[in-house]
Amino acid sequence: MSDATLTLTPPEHAENEIKPRLEIDGHDPSMLISMRNIWKTYQMGTESVHALHGVSFDIPRGEYIAIIGPSGSGKSTLMNLIGCLDTPTQGEYWLNGKNVSEMDDDELARIRNQEVGFVFQTFNLLARATALHNVELPLIYGGVGASQRHEMAKKALNAVDLADRITHKPNELSGGQRQRVAIARALVNHPSILLADEPTGALDSHTSMEIMDLFERLHSEGNTIIVVTHEHDIADRAHRVISIRDGQIEKDERIK
Amino acid sequence: MRYSFRLTAIWEAFRVATASLRANKLRTALTLIGIVVGVTAVIAVVTIIKGLDQTVAQTFSSQGSTVFSISKNPQIIKSREEFIKANRRKDVTHEDAEAIARLCPACWRVGIAANAVETVKYADQKAENVRIRGVDPTTMFDIDGVTIDVGRIWSDTEGASGRDICVIGADMLKNLFSDAPSDRAVGQEIRIDGRPYLVLGVLEPLGSIFGFSRDNVVYIPYSTYQKAYGGRRSLVVFIQVPDAGQLEIAEDQVRTIMRNRRGHATDEDEGFALETQDVFLNLYGSATSNIYLVTIGVAAVSLLVGGIVVMNIMLVSVTERTKEIGIRKAVGARRKDILTQFLIEAVGVTAIGGAIGVGTGFGLAYVISALIGFPLLISVTSAVLGVACSSIVGIASGMWPAWRAAKLDPIEALRAE
Ligand SMILES: Nc1ncnc2c1ncn2[C@@H]1O[C@H](COP(=O)(O)OP(=O)(O)OP(=O)(O)O)[C@@H](O)[C@H]1O
Ligand SMILES: [Mg+2]
Repeated sequence: MSDATLTLTPPEHAENEIKPRLEIDGHDPSMLISMRNIWKTYQMGTESVHALHGVSFDIPRGEYIAIIGPSGSGKSTLMNLIGCLDTPTQGEYWLNGKNVSEMDDDELARIRNQEVGFVFQTFNLLARATALHNVELPLIYGGVGASQRHEMAKKALNAVDLADRITHKPNELSGGQRQRVAIARALVNHPSILLADEPTGALDSHTSMEIMDLFERLHSEGNTIIVVTHEHDIADRAHRVISIRDGQIEKDERIK
Repeated sequence: MRYSFRLTAIWEAFRVATASLRANKLRTALTLIGIVVGVTAVIAVVTIIKGLDQTVAQTFSSQGSTVFSISKNPQIIKSREEFIKANRRKDVTHEDAEAIARLCPACWRVGIAANAVETVKYADQKAENVRIRGVDPTTMFDIDGVTIDVGRIWSDTEGASGRDICVIGADMLKNLFSDAPSDRAVGQEIRIDGRPYLVLGVLEPLGSIFGFSRDNVVYIPYSTYQKAYGGRRSLVVFIQVPDAGQLEIAEDQVRTIMRNRRGHATDEDEGFALETQDVFLNLYGSATSNIYLVTIGVAAVSLLVGGIVVMNIMLVSVTERTKEIGIRKAVGARRKDILTQFLIEAVGVTAIGGAIGVGTGFGLAYVISALIGFPLLISVTSAVLGVACSSIVGIASGMWPAWRAAKLDPIEALRAE
């Protein structure tokens, strides 16, 4: 378990470099997220595609992180693992003190429901449901009763400035508004971490900036946020940037 | 913890299922057809047969299970051999009846009857296919279970005299006397096959069975019948016992008497037919059980086809909604939650089909009961059974598609368009 391979290139700005605390056997219990030597391998016929090989890092509570890297480098794969939508082929993932890499389907569903808020590039809202119902969805599967649920969902929509759009369906909302509904849905259950995989990829630059302002505000309110992007001006807003190339961490540095 | 509380998820499943059924109306309708046909068949047949059962039970209890008959030709001939056998027999005669009346201590009432079918006329009115029943003595009225409404039955001396007198069934009033009050017919003269008969009385109506009226009849004394139609026809001896418990003893006694009178009965045939109403009831029972079997077959096939249709449509529905399933799983829906959602949809559609089938089944039974003329007995049990059966089909055929939906990988599901 402890012999994770250290594959980092020598740092150029050593004072900003963040080293995973590999010297600790297993995970670091003080961290919100601890990944140790994570591999994700896809079997394509006879060929094995290593989307991730040997990724290790720690994320403390309250951080604002950007993950950058070229297309196909493994960013989405990593995000899906962090968000418990997928499980690693090999390695250990500790989230909030729980070893997620050994969980079964239903336990992962529970983690997704309670611990993770996921924001997608293409919003992934239920087309036939209202904004309010979309935001309520995690609470429904969390077993929250109707009146408390409405209350929480309205609050979340209010937090993303959509209080006046709660009965609208996704096709009656602009792209930016849809993404804000998705963010409200991600936040409604007060998750430990907010994940966003290219949240502005489908938005124009003005709307993108609005969404990024929203993330900044959410971070200042104490949320832990990880954003995948390949736009540098978006990555620059984060406090720490993890660069991925060919399924490995190329660079992991604090910029603020 | 609160995550384990799942009522909210079940309610959501219900909401989604109904929305989906409503959104795809045509598809829902097509899915329903097989189930509707199956349940309709079962409900209609069960209801119709229940109605017939009641009619049959009432009809036969009017004569009661205390009557049996001796005749040359059995009333129900089941094979050609039987027909040939019966035709070789000697006629059953008036003397046979007298011997039975004299020698059978267990027999309470003994009477004879012979039937002909004729056209009956009064003034310019005419009734066709009327059963002319020559009976003797007048206790035959009691054995037949008919009672006089207006007027009187002939006395036994009148009956023996061979006079042209008659007692008419209720249909004669309707057909010959244009529904006049019963007393209008009494004292009138009707013509049967050209011969004039004086009407002494009118019988209480018995109603009809399977669309055949039992009141389309004219009773005349047997002596008169003999004069009009000849005495050479074989007749039927009817025997009534005071209660059903004595039936077997009486049958044994009558059998012995008849065997003695026939002298040498051959090995294969005792030379006469002894029949109780059980013959009819058995025949009726085997006919209805065949109908039941056929119906169960039809219902099983259409429910099977319906189930396959439901399964296919559910598979299409799962494929169409892969993305939705991905979204739900991404925010924390478990396998069970998705499974219930699609099961509720499948059971919902089949239960609706079942309910419609129950409705159309009762409707069909109503139309047929009105046409043939038997009571409509709506049974709650069969309605519940119809909906329950179709719901089970829903679970069986929805299970696999629902399971496929439930175990979808969230990432792959989200990638679907
Ligand atoms: N289901 C899969 N089956 C096979 N290979 C896969 C699968 N998912 C991802 N990959 C491969 O894994 C690698 C990483 O993919 P990933 O989607 O994580 O890239 P990415 O960094 O998010 O790229 P982009 O910026 O284009 O979104 C790619 O080479 C991809 O082809
Ligand atoms: Mg990606």
